[in-house]
This record gives sequence, structure tokens and C-alpha cells, in this order.
Amino acid sequence: MNRFNSQQRKFLYLGGILLLLIPIISLGMPADSKGEAAGVIARQRQEYDLGESDLGKIDPSSAAMNLVLLGLRGVAANVLWVQAEEQKNHKDWAAMRATTESIIRLQPHYVKVWEYNGWNLAYNVSVEWDAVSDRYFWVKEGGKFLQEGVNRNRNSSDLLWHTGRIYGPKIGLSDEARFFRRFFRADPNPIYEGNVDPEFNPTDEDNYLVAKEWFTRANDIEGQGNRQTIMDRSIFRSYPARSQLDYASALQKYGFNEEYDRRAANTKLTEEQQAAMQLEVRDKLREQTRTAWEQGFKDWTQSYGQEEYTVDYRGDILRIRMEMTEEAIKDLAKTPTDYRKIADAVMAYQNMTNYRYWRTRALCEAEPDTAEAHWLLFAAVEEYRKQNFEKAHEHATRVMALLEEIFKKYPELEIEEDMVEDGITAVIIWQNFYRFNGERPPTDFPLKRIYDERATQLPEYERKFNRRFLPY
Amino acid sequence: MSTSGASREAVIEIRNLSKIYRDFWGRKKVRALNSLSLDVYKGEVFGLLGPNGSGKTTTLKLLLGLLFPTEGEISILGEPASNVSKNERIGYLPEESYLYRFLNAEETLDFYGRLFDMPASVRKERTEKLLDLVKISHARKRQLKEYSKGMTRRIGLAQALINDPDLVLLDEPTSGLDPLGNRDMKDLILDLKKQGKTILMCSHLLADVQDVCDRIAILYGGELKVLGRVEDLLKSQNQTQILSSQLTPAALAEVEAVLKKHDASFQVDHPTASLEELFLRTVQESKERPGHRLVTPDSKSQAG
Amino acid sequence: MDFDPTPFNFAAAGINWLLIVGVCLGLMTVVSLLVMAGSRGTRGLTMWTDEVGLMASDLVSLSPRRIFALSQLTFREAIRRRALLVFVVFGILFMFAGWFLSASTLAPEFQVKVYVTFVLRAISWLILPVVLLLSCWGLPEDIKQRSLHTVVTKPARRLEIVLGRMFGFAFVGTIVLVVMAVVGGFWIKRQLPAVAQEQLTCRKPVFGYLAFKDREGNDAAKGINVGDIWEFHSYIEGATKARAIWTFINLDASVLDSDGNLRLENRFQAFRSHKGDMKRALYYQYVLVNPQTGLRVPIPLKTVNEFRGRTDIIPRKLGKVAEASPAAADEAETAAAYDLIDDLVSKEAVVDPETKNVIYPAGTMLVEVLCIDPGQYLGMARPDLFIRTPDLSFWVGYVKAVLGIEMMLILVVVLSVTASTFVKGPVATLLTFCLVIIGQTAREFMAKIVNNEEAGGGVFESIYRLVKHMNPTTDLPEGTATTVMRFVDSALVNLMWLVYNIIPDFSFFTRSLSYLSNGFDVNVATAVYPGLAITLGYFIPCVLLGYFCLRTRELEAK
Repeated sequence: MNRFNSQQRKFLYLGGILLLLIPIISLGMPADSKGEAAGVIARQRQEYDLGESDLGKIDPSSAAMNLVLLGLRGVAANVLWVQAEEQKNHKDWAAMRATTESIIRLQPHYVKVWEYNGWNLAYNVSVEWDAVSDRYFWVKEGGKFLQEGVNRNRNSSDLLWHTGRIYGPKIGLSDEARFFRRFFRADPNPIYEGNVDPEFNPTDEDNYLVAKEWFTRANDIEGQGNRQTIMDRSIFRSYPARSQLDYASALQKYGFNEEYDRRAANTKLTEEQQAAMQLEVRDKLREQTRTAWEQGFKDWTQSYGQEEYTVDYRGDILRIRMEMTEEAIKDLAKTPTDYRKIADAVMAYQNMTNYRYWRTRALCEAEPDTAEAHWLLFAAVEEYRKQNFEKAHEHATRVMALLEEIFKKYPELEIEEDMVEDGITAVIIWQNFYRFNGERPPTDFPLKRIYDERATQLPEYERKFNRRFLPY
Repeated sequence: MSTSGASREAVIEIRNLSKIYRDFWGRKKVRALNSLSLDVYKGEVFGLLGPNGSGKTTTLKLLLGLLFPTEGEISILGEPASNVSKNERIGYLPEESYLYRFLNAEETLDFYGRLFDMPASVRKERTEKLLDLVKISHARKRQLKEYSKGMTRRIGLAQALINDPDLVLLDEPTSGLDPLGNRDMKDLILDLKKQGKTILMCSHLLADVQDVCDRIAILYGGELKVLGRVEDLLKSQNQTQILSSQLTPAALAEVEAVLKKHDASFQVDHPTASLEELFLRTVQESKERPGHRLVTPDSKSQAG
Repeated sequence: MDFDPTPFNFAAAGINWLLIVGVCLGLMTVVSLLVMAGSRGTRGLTMWTDEVGLMASDLVSLSPRRIFALSQLTFREAIRRRALLVFVVFGILFMFAGWFLSASTLAPEFQVKVYVTFVLRAISWLILPVVLLLSCWGLPEDIKQRSLHTVVTKPARRLEIVLGRMFGFAFVGTIVLVVMAVVGGFWIKRQLPAVAQEQLTCRKPVFGYLAFKDREGNDAAKGINVGDIWEFHSYIEGATKARAIWTFINLDASVLDSDGNLRLENRFQAFRSHKGDMKRALYYQYVLVNPQTGLRVPIPLKTVNEFRGRTDIIPRKLGKVAEASPAAADEAETAAAYDLIDDLVSKEAVVDPETKNVIYPAGTMLVEVLCIDPGQYLGMARPDLFIRTPDLSFWVGYVKAVLGIEMMLILVVVLSVTASTFVKGPVATLLTFCLVIIGQTAREFMAKIVNNEEAGGGVFESIYRLVKHMNPTTDLPEGTATTVMRFVDSALVNLMWLVYNIIPDFSFFTRSLSYLSNGFDVNVATAVYPGLAITLGYFIPCVLLGYFCLRTRELEAK
């Protein structure tokens, strides 16, 4: 060190400092107002969309927490994860919920953290509770949690998709679907006074339509080049259309009761008024359901079906659509081998997404005759419930005839369980009419073939039939 | 000023006291004190002198039990230095002001008074008396951190006297005081002596020492070099000093003639601050002949 | 509910304390004797005895006035050091706390839990570092500034200095705590949503003892585990002979509420092996039994309110319904024919005719619980059923919880001051901090090691197994190496035993906190005394250690 005198050394230090400043500035300089001339880090932040200000809400408490923890963010997060797991094991749900909140304040941009915790709340915590209303509460918690994640990670198509899953299948397909769907429109928590929870269902719509919106948003974000990491793209893109189809099936299955109860709630009706209202609701729902199916068919074949996918099928990179006529394939193919390859790929992908089934189903359900069949059956069951067996028999006979025609037209629907169940229910009502009158039902009737094919499962259908008459 | 040797009762007895400072690993670092033996008698003012690092303050701290001796024995007021109860009769003024700077003068004296387990009425009385004595009554409500250096020394002395001690240990009592304060301090020391208290002081300011001390010890390099009564030490055995005032030149000529007649060599001069001389000489000689005890007229006079 | 109302065993703790303090004192004596004898020979021994004599005399000549003077000095110093700035942090935290507690849609009782826990934890986590830093830096700073010189050269005993420091810092901490607790209390009252306010209460439970009968009706220690990781709760199967039987003792009319009814509150959990009837929660039934007369009075069926609990009001005049029958749900009770206290609480002790042991003392009532729904299960642990006597004010429990924090605070002060007598500020801080953290988090793990419950052996054995990729159940090859390794490991475990016992168990201090956040009062013997005992248990040896260190230390040496 003696080679330099004190002054020289100071200059040397100064030089060193300046030298070190160069990378610091080039890395760390913040962007100016136009977003230009930024340092590498600022530019990358923009590029990968990591800047807090780009991600919706800035979370001041998170920054504060960082400060408090003096950079021990990772350690703190670890401790919290362990705590949350222990609280879950100890069934200390309130504490676990609070811990989850702390975790996401520490890790607000880890999509998997949101995904895991949202799922955990909506599925794992939910089932631990005995009361259905409590279960619904936790489903909501999971859904709200995921939405919070979406707000902070706007470019994650995954989170949007998972939110859609809560709204769609979690509410509409679980064992408690009957209850959950009603709760979605009329929250069991007394603070909402029988209305929706505005944080969860602000527009007061059917859960599947809300799910459809989320899936559509997921597709939009995905379409902007933000890759989803959940499943094959060709399936991922089908969810908005699938939600529309699910919406239509749910209307068919629960729509009448839900609508009727909603209208009849808090009013005292005479029997005639009740009957009138039933008729009114039935007419409304018949059309509503049919339109839903129609829309579903459109979504399925025109939106989803027309999307182009680049797929790797058996080593060949091909461009396909789900909805492809032979002409379309021929247009695309240059050689007969190409034609074969594309046709095979389309077939394989259609099988994977169950494309053709849903196409046929939607098409069939959108026909007025099918709608008529469904709602006549519904009327038959209602009359049966009121022990107007003659009327019930009349309706059932008509349903059987209609369904016979439908199955003839769309034989692939013979595997559609809901449709078959409707048919057999009609047969049971039809047969019972004769039995109650002490007669033997005629041996030949429409749907006989389908009925006979399922002879072994008849007790199961009987059970399901009887269950229709339990209060909801 | 002198007291007869027989009636002398030792208040402090130091025997073969050594102190070695060690580092963290127990290795010897400094030998601060080497085989020191010393007595301080009741009622005298004893001065401990020496250049920086000579071991004065170490000796004082060993006496107070702030340090533990490596070897040797200390008896202070008849007790070992490690016995806290001896502190009942001791007053200590530290080198710099180590008082609690966030207390005011009154609180300071009250606090130290309570450490002597004095009841409130006594504390109040003593506080008033001492504040007057050291002349800081006017600043009694001010926090010590606002005090000047001189005022800090004064409050320091006041706290040392809170218990009306028999033995007062003063570390550099006059440092930082203006001439007026210096005079006050020295008067106070002499006053304490009059009250029959024993005083041990360390100082650099030789004039002050010369003014108030009965006996002094000069330490150098942790060893005792000089010990004795101030006047004895300054008295040269083969020199005579004639002091006179208003001596006319004629009279001076006559005196010179008489001296010449007796064939004595002489020098006509004005008196000097001779303790300073002694001190400088001691230090100089110690450097040249380490380990050598220079003058002990004290022990001689004791023997005689 | 996730706490265990098992009382603190003072006798066992006392014996353990004596053992540990004895071992430590013994170790200190031996080590100091060896050091003195080794360095100075026989003179060292006389010095040792002199020193011990002086220490003993110091112990008996303590002066309250001096201790008070030193405490007051400490207090003034802390104020001067702006210790009270902690209030600013406290204020800021509370202003923004709402953001962290975004659980407003949770059920009211859970909101209470979140808010109460937050307030009390925030208080303790703010206050502990403050007193820790203050007390760790006080004495070393005093030594460094040499202001301590003016104190030790007065007749102040060094023991008094240690005590004065401890009391002073504890006092500062207490003032801060009281202010925080009052502010926190107001905050809870103001911030807690209106619906949750009425949940702000302090139940006064009478707990019973729990036993089980299995599905065949035989006695069992536990019920069935339905797959929970945490084995605290165990389950009884519905529509079998499985029962959970609580034994409540010392009962009389004083446990009844103001209307003369018995309030039985439960926290049963439900486990369904099939969905069953989703609209209805599972049915359970109480059967009240007088153990002396054998009178059984089945109460109408109730439904489980899982994770929320429910309070069943049992009237004093009872009719009965069919036992263990789903029909009891619809069936009307018989006319009120039984008196809850007179007929169902035993008047005399039930004695085993052979051994003459008392099985049930006088004043006992049994509550049998059974699950009605076949294939479904009810889960419970001891605290999940209790008699709810009239509630106390929430603030009674709040004060007890704050007292718990106070004890913890004092303990931290004691530890910090002690540490600061032998090491400098930063080291003392680190040391105490570690003690507190380990005491709060790692004691359970240490207990496992000390009790040999952790699979895979001690330190060296574990390392060996890790390196060799051996699982914990594989036997080690026998040989000298293994023997040596095991010997060293067991020596280390013994050391760990000492460390384990020296490190304070902080869980007792937060006990009343966890009770309170669940809406429970806990009696003083469980809430306050254990903390007090622990603090005192540390206070005595720590003061002695601090005194010893300060006394044998050269204050001047740098």
C-alpha cells in the first residue's frame, strides 16, 4: 500500500466507486415517465410484468412487511407455511385463514401459492365442515382468494382458469350442488338478507355463466401470449363453451325448482296460483333452457370449434380445428397422406375433448321437440306428485313418443345418461298408471328397446324416481 | 504541621501490590504495578504522583475494588478492598465526571445518599449543605449534561462527600478548574484535613500537590520511586536557603562578604518551584536507572 | 378447541427446579474451586472461602432503599433513552392492522379469535424486543461509561445493582405494557365488527374427565381415529354402543345459570363416512347418569354445530326421551319427573366393593354422549364438553392474558440483565434473543431428543446414518466405533437435558392468551401461577448468577 500516498489512494477509491457505479446504474436505474431509458432491472420488470404498479393494486402492507422483516422474507414465508399446515391439522381454521393471508402478502406473485391456497380453502377446508352453509362459505373463501390473486397477477391465465373452476364445477357439480347453486343466488349468511354475496356474485347470475366469464378471460389472457400451464391447449380453450353447455344442463336439472322457489319465496299462494305460477315458470324455463343449448351449440361449434391449433400428432406438426369438414381438410392437405394425417389428428383431438358428443347433445337439446320432451316429463312428474295419474300418464306417453323420435335421430345420445333416465322415468310413470288402475301395462311401447336393455338397472332407476318426490 | 510517628495510625496499608493486565486469552499484556508497598496515615493529605501510565490510577482502583490485585494485600480502613462495607466511610471523586448525566444536581446527591441508606431527612440536609459548600446551589435543578467542566468537578466532589467520609480519594481533583475554583478546591481539601479526614489524591498539577499534601509518593513504570514528607523531600541536605525580603544591595553585599569569609561557594538567586524539579529529576533518573529506589527520607525519618 | 386444561404440576416442577438449580450450583462450585486451586494453590482456597463468606454477608445486608434508588435510576435512564418511542411503532401498527385482518366475513367467534390474538401477540412481540434491548444494553453501557464506578464505590452491593436493574427495567416494561394493553383493549372494542362484539366474552368452564366405550360397549381409553394427523380428538361411531363419558365432579346448584338451567357447551366434530342427509347436521344425544343410583336420563337429540360449538340448555326439571333412538328426534319428552341436582348428582361416594377405592366421589354426575346416525362419527377431546357457568366479563380474561405477558416480560428482563452481567450488550442481546426464540419454538423438539423419542439416534449417529443413507430403523453394525459413537451421543444428550431444562418454557405464558382468544376464562391457578412460578424459578438463580458474575468481574478492565 505504500506505493501510493494518501492522496493517490483517495483518487483510487474514488475511481473504484465510479467503476462500481456503472453497473449499478445500468442495472438499477428506474424508468423515466415515458418508460424509456430505464436500467436493465426496470426494463426486465416491465418485460416480465413484475412491477407492482403494473399488477393492479399496489400492496403497501406487503412493502411494510418487507421492511419489518429486513429481507428475511423467505424465512418468514417458510415459517408461515409450516404454521398454516399445522393450523390445518389442528382444524384451527380461523388462524389458518389469517396465516394464508400473511403468506400471500409475502409471496404475492407466486401463482402456485395462490392456486394451492385457493384450492385448499375451497376444497380441503370446505369438506371438513359439517353444515352445508359452512361448506359453501369456504368455497366462497377459496373463490374470493383466487380473485384476489387474479387482481395481483393479471397476466396469469392459470389463476383465471382456477377461479372459473370454483364457480363452475365446484359449485355446480359437487354433491352439494343443489344447495350450493341456490346459495350462489341467495347467500345463507344472514348479513346478506337472502340476496347474493356481492363480493362473490356481484351480477346475480347463474354460477356457470359467471364461470364462463372467467374462462373467457382466461382464454383472452392466454391468447395474448401468456402461456397456461395446466393442460393441453385444445382442452383449455374449450372451457367457456363447456360452461355454456353445463349451464344449459343445470337449467334443465335444477332450473325449474330454483326459479319456482325464488318466485314463491315469501309469498303465500293458493293452490291455483301455485299451479299458474308453475305453468308460467315451466314455459319460461323451457325456452330459456332451449336457448341456452342453442347458445351452447354455437359456442361449441362456432367459437371453440373454429379455433386453430398447432398440434404435434405422431411426430407431425399439423394445424387443425375441431370443427373440420372433409372439404376443409382437403383444402389444407396437399397430398392424400396429408389428408389422412390431418383427418386422424382431428379425430383424435375430437375424441380427447369429447367434441362430437357435445356437438350432438347441444344440437339435439336445442330442438324444440327435445325441450318439449323434457318439460313434459317435468309436468308428468309434477302431476304424479299431485296424484293426477291420468294427466301424468298423458304427459308421459307424449314424452315417450318424443324421445323415441330423438333417439332415432341422434342414436349416439343413447349413452347420455340424463336423457335415458328421463325416458325410463316416463316409462315408469306410464306403467304405474296402469298398475294403479289394476291393469297390466301394454307390452309394446315406445322406448321399449332402451328400457329392456337396462333391465338390470331398473331398481336403481326406481330409486332415483322415488327420490324425485322427496322435498328438495 | 507534623505529627509524631508513634501516634500515626495507618488508614491504608498496601503490601507488595502488583497488577498485571491480561488480554482475553490470559496472556500478560502490561505490568501496571510492581510490588508496591505504601501506608497512608490517618489525618494526612497524601499525594500520589507520576507521569501518565505510572500506575497511580491503577492503585486507586485497586484500593476501591474496581480492579482485583494480581498479587499483594490491601487493607483499607482495616478491611480488605473486596469488602463493600468499607465504602460506608470512603468518598471517591473519579478522574472525569462519570456521574449520570441525565440526573440534576439534587437528584444526583439524593441518589448517592440513598446508596448509603441514609433516611430522607438526612439526605435533604446533606444535599443542601454540600450544594452550598461546592457553590452550585443556583444550578441544582439543571441536568448534569448541561454543566460546565468546573461545575461537574464540584458536583463530583459533593457526591464524594455525601456520606461525610473518613477517607477521601480524589483523582485529579483540580483538573479543569479555573484558578478561582482551584483555590476553592485546595481550601476545601485543607478544610477536610482540619476536620481530621484522611485524603489520598492523585494529581499532575504539582503546584497543587505542593500546596496541600503532607506526604507524596512518586510512581514511575508501576514502581515506587520517591516517598516522603514534602518539606523533607525538597530540603537539600547540603544546601541552605536564606529567604529574605526587602534586602538592600548594601545588605546583600555584606552577606556575600560574610559567606566569602567562610569560604563557602554560593549563588544568589530567587527561589524556584522545586517540586517540579524533583519530579522531573525523578522521572529522568528512573529512565536512566530502572528499578532503583531513589530517595526515601520518609523511612529514614520514621526510623529516626 | 385446541388446548388442554391439564393443570400445571407445581410439586413436580418444584422438584425439577431444585434438581436443576442444585446441579448448576454444584457445577459452579466445583469449577470455581478447581480454577482457584489450580491457579493459586492453597491460597486460592482461602481466597475462595473468603469470597464466599463476603458474598453471603452481601446477601444478608441488602437494603430496600438502595435497591429502590437503583431501580429508579434505571427507570429514569430508560425514559431518557427514548424507550417510549416503541409507542410510535405500536400506534402505526394498530393504525394499519385492519389490512392484515381481512377476515371480516368469518363467523363472529373466529373474528374475535383473530382480533384478540392479533392484539395480544402484537403487544408481546413489540414489548419483548424493547425490554430485551434495554436490559441487555443497560449494564454494559453503565460499565462502559464508568458511571457504575460511582455506584460500586458506594456501599451498594453488586447484588443490589443486579436487582435494581431488573426491577427498574421490569417497571418500565410494565408501564409500556399497561398502556399498550389499555389501547389494545379499546382497539378491540372499537374495531371488532358489531356482530362479533357479543362474542367478546369469557366463559367459565367446569371441565370433566373423559373416558370412552368402544362400539361393543367395552371400556376404552380413546375412541377411533378417523384419519386426523392430530390425534387430540377421537371419535365414536353412530348407532353403536360407542360412548364418550364425561365425569363431572364437585357439582352442586352453583354450576347452574341464573335461570336455574344447566348449560352444557360442546365442540363436537362431525365425520361422515357417507354423505347421508346433507340438510341436517349429525344428531347426538346426552344421557345424564347418576353413578350412585344408576339413574339414566336421556335428553332430546341435538345437532352438531361443527367448529362453532353449541350451548345446550338443560332445564333443572327434566323429562326424558328414548335412549339411542333416532325416533327421539320427533318424540315428545315425558313429564318433568327428575331434578338435575337432586336426582342426578350423586350424594355419596361410589366405592369399589373389593378394593375399597373411591370410584366416584360424592357430587358426581356422568354425561354420556352418543352419536345417533349410523355410519357417522362424532369427534371429541376432553375440553370439548364442559359445563358453562355464568360468563365472566371479557376483560377479566384480558387482564389475565396481559398478566401472562407481564410474567414473560419480567422473565426476559431477568434473563437479559443476567446475560449483561457477564457479556457486552450485543452478545447479551443475541444470547437472550436465542433463549427466547428457542424457548418459544424449539422446546418440543428438544424434549423429543432428550426423551429419546426422535428416531435415528444422537448427533453423530444421525450424521453417520445420513452419510451412509441408512434409514432410522436399520441396525448399526456393532463394534467399538458404534460404542464410542453412542457413548459420545448419550453424553451430548445429557448435556442437552441440562440445556433443555435451563431454557424457559414460554408456552405457559401464552396459555391464558390462547384460552381468551377462544373465549374462555382460565382459573388463576392455570393462567397466572405457572408463569409466576417459572419467572420466580428463573429469578432466583439468575439473580445469584448475575451477582456472582458482576462481583467477580473487574469493572475497569476493557
